[in-house]
Amino acid sequence: VCKMNKDAQMRATINQKLIETGERERLKELLRAKLIECGWKDQLKAHCKDVIKEKGLEHVTVDDLVAEITPKGRALVPDSVKKELLQRIRTFLAQHASL
Amino acid sequence: MKMEEMSLSGLDNSKLEAIAHEIYTDLVEDACLGLCFEVHRAVKCGYFFLDDTDPDSMKDFEIVDQPGVDIFGQVYNQWKNKECVCPNCSRSIAASRFAPHLEKCLGMGRNSSRIANRRIASSNNMNKSESDQEDNDDINDNDWSYGSEKKAKKRKSDKNPNSPRRSKSLKHKNGELGGNSDPFKYSNSSGISYETLGPEELRSLLTTQCGVISEHTKKMCTRSLRCPQHTDEQRRSVRVYLLGPSASLPEAEGSMENDSFDVAESQALMSRLQWDGSSDISPSDSASSKASTNNSESRKTKKKKPHPQHLRRHQLRGGGGWRPCLTPIAPPTPPLE
Repeated sequence: VCKMNKDAQMRATINQKLIETGERERLKELLRAKLIECGWKDQLKAHCKDVIKEKGLEHVTVDDLVAEITPKGRALVPDSVKKELLQRIRTFLAQHASL
Repeated sequence: MKMEEMSLSGLDNSKLEAIAHEIYTDLVEDACLGLCFEVHRAVKCGYFFLDDTDPDSMKDFEIVDQPGVDIFGQVYNQWKNKECVCPNCSRSIAASRFAPHLEKCLGMGRNSSRIANRRIASSNNMNKSESDQEDNDDINDNDWSYGSEKKAKKRKSDKNPNSPRRSKSLKHKNGELGGNSDPFKYSNSSGISYETLGPEELRSLLTTQCGVISEHTKKMCTRSLRCPQHTDEQRRSVRVYLLGPSASLPEAEGSMENDSFDVAESQALMSRLQWDGSSDISPSDSASSKASTNNSESRKTKKKKPHPQHLRRHQLRGGGGWRPCLTPIAPPTPPLE
């Protein structure tokens, strides 16, 4: 229990650091740009269309969409984008772990 | 705080990697969530399917990529008529001939820039020095007619029997000698030279128009009675000047005389013009500018006397046969008597 607590505390600290330094926003913006660039967004939109047609225009909810889209979204991120992002996160962690 | 930082630095690589992946997953899910919100909003607002078109109509607008056709699938024809409509004479002219045509039609370009300048000068009618110069030209008649003859010959190739220079010079003579009753007088928008009007005409003009005489052009203002450019005081003084003592002026005599042959002469002029077919407005301009620069009353009255005679004369021989392509309006040499 003590260890779990310590783990969670540590994650919270890292997250706070990410937000405080503005790195999280920068990463988000980078990811967004990359995903649009590689067509990820268009692919997911096409998938959304299928989902909506299936469920009916009137009845579709955000939860439906999230449930349908998120797994697919995660899978569709290109490797290069994933690598680049992870690299930047590691760099960030290394910088702030050395403090 | 200190404890945490220590623990952070003390993490092993696998733990750091796990955290990095976690952050990455977080970010991707954020992106997905953002997209879901966006799509949901679009659906509920009804613009999500707007950019959809059915595949059939998409086929109609596909970009054609074949040799010999443009992207719309139309055959490109190099020799297809490309015509431009001339803004001046509203004829349609082949594109390759358009520039030369404009040069002729609008009076632009190297050859005809002089014509254009003339036209501008005669339509403005403001340039006094210009008209003065013309006067001198008229007086030195030999020189003038010789020069104009040469010019006219040259310009025959223009197929423009009404070249402004020529007609202007002729109108000048006309204006000096018979200018009192020019049928174009009222169409002259830049002003009216009051000296050439009879009292009846003056009166009718002054009841409908402002009539204030400009210092510079010596013309009467042709705007309405309430024109903002002149004051009521100015208008009143002009009426006193022109109408009040008019009966006793020698000019009245002369102009009465004018009235008597007005009709005959203007008819003659009109018939000549009809025969001529296409004459421009410049005669009135030059005539009035002429009269305005010529201020001495005595000279005017002297000149008026021979006038009807002379007119009748060139009615007799003129009009019809006199070098028809160049001088339809008046004989080239004014009989000064």
